[in-house]
Amino acid sequence: MKNKVLMGLAAIAMVAFLSSCGKVPQEKIDATNAAITAAQTAEAAVYVPAEFAAVQDSMKAITAAVEVQKGKLFKKFGPISLKLDETLAAANKVAADAVTKKAEVKKEVETLMTEVKAVLEENTALMKKAPRGKEGAAVLEAMKTDMATIEASVAEAQALYDKGTYMDALNKVKAAKERATGINTELKDAIAKVKGKGKK
Amino acid sequence: MRKVWRDVLIFTAIAVSIPLIILLLIRFTPKPPTAEMQYARESLSMAEKNKADTYSKKIYTTAKIYYDSAMVNWQRENKRFLYFRDYERVLMFAELSAKKANQAGDNSLSSSSNLKIKLKEKISALNDLVTQINGLFTTYPLSTEIRNRISKGKMLLSEADVAYKKGQYLQANRKVTDSEYLLTASYEDASANLKNYFRSYSTWKNWIDKTINDSRKNRDYSIIIDKFSRKLLVYFNGSIKHEYEAELGKNWVGDKRVKGDKATPEGMYRITKKFDGSKTKYYKALLLDYPNDEDKEKFKAEIARGTLPASARIGGLIEIHGNGGKGIDWTEGCIALTDKEMDSVFKIVRVGTPVTIVGSTVELHDVVDR
Repeated sequence: MKNKVLMGLAAIAMVAFLSSCGKVPQEKIDATNAAITAAQTAEAAVYVPAEFAAVQDSMKAITAAVEVQKGKLFKKFGPISLKLDETLAAANKVAADAVTKKAEVKKEVETLMTEVKAVLEENTALMKKAPRGKEGAAVLEAMKTDMATIEASVAEAQALYDKGTYMDALNKVKAAKERATGINTELKDAIAKVKGKGKK
Repeated sequence: MRKVWRDVLIFTAIAVSIPLIILLLIRFTPKPPTAEMQYARESLSMAEKNKADTYSKKIYTTAKIYYDSAMVNWQRENKRFLYFRDYERVLMFAELSAKKANQAGDNSLSSSSNLKIKLKEKISALNDLVTQINGLFTTYPLSTEIRNRISKGKMLLSEADVAYKKGQYLQANRKVTDSEYLLTASYEDASANLKNYFRSYSTWKNWIDKTINDSRKNRDYSIIIDKFSRKLLVYFNGSIKHEYEAELGKNWVGDKRVKGDKATPEGMYRITKKFDGSKTKYYKALLLDYPNDEDKEKFKAEIARGTLPASARIGGLIEIHGNGGKGIDWTEGCIALTDKEMDSVFKIVRVGTPVTIVGSTVELHDVVDR
């Protein structure tokens, strides 16, 4: 009789063990979600959008896989746990990459700011040397208006930079540099033409 | 011995029946729509890759909400006992999510592709407009406000181009729209101003024809000044003999109305005096008979109408003189040539030589086409 009771208990214990041997790796899930939130805070969606989307997709797949296992009689969270380790590492990398990329964009804005200011200064100097005959002065007047607009745009880019929105600042300063460089080329061409005529 | 066999039988029965029960449990347990959920997830991912969150935001958001609803329902069902689970709603939301995500992805691709084409065309058209504005109005005295608007429009066009090249079509579209508004409005304002300027073309044409005919008839020199193209044309015997670049009054658009308006008058005049040496501060000068009778009449009419104050003066001392070549309209209303060109003109004209000043020798559409 004692044996029968022991066997019954063993069978129940086996069923109980088999049906609940896997526990949801909640700590890892929480840690990975926290890492994704940290990546979001680091503006990963702005600076490394594709990588950030991949991490989000991975987490979505994990959440679904957890539910699949939860619905089973025999739960197995081992592969999910491994996937969580990978996703956590990826989320941390994305956060770090976002910080790096943001620093790169910031540096690029700073470089472009310095360059556009130098081009504007050069343009001001070139304007003094530029030919004024045959509508030249009228063209220079129009250029002066354009230069003032470019300077205002550079100031707007600086304000965006100060706010930390480096991507927007980058677009603005790039456009400003293109316009300033266009004027610079026009001025240099006009001066070169006059010099060329003088040599004949 | 029989007892042992009975125990073995019981143990075997238990050992067989437990896996059997488990198998039956697994076999008849409702299955969650795992494949459909995966498809919905992949569809959402693809939609995001196609920038549906930007170009088809509303549908994409709906797809995401459906997916979240599927997950919530799945989690709820998983909390129930195996046999009481029902994944119908999970399946429904998963399918709806996939459908909407695919729709959002397709819409996004189509919208971004259409927008890309539209933007390319608009940027190109606006660049053409800028070229036209530069060609027509660089030397035309537009107001500072219009000039600033054109300049701002050009800057925004440049920003749109940067965003377009980066594939940021929505941002590019916003910039293009702002740029288009500024450039088009400025162009329309400037064009209206120009059209107004050319209203007197028929009168100018009559003056030009008369001046050229007189030159032919008298076998003599005549001068025609085209304000819009800034040309001083010297005719002899009805044909152009010389052509010079001229500089005008700062406010050269329109006829001169009053003293100090810095406008160059329009009309048929004659040289009344020739100055050189110490008699002029502009190297050499040819004084015109401005104001002529017609100018005086117009001035009186304006005073009478009250469009000019009674204290206004008509002005005078309009000359063709030297010290030009500055490349800008800088005089108080006179016509300036370079000193070298002034020498040439000074030599061939005499007191009495006709000088006709017109807004343009060609019609507006010819100016625009040119």
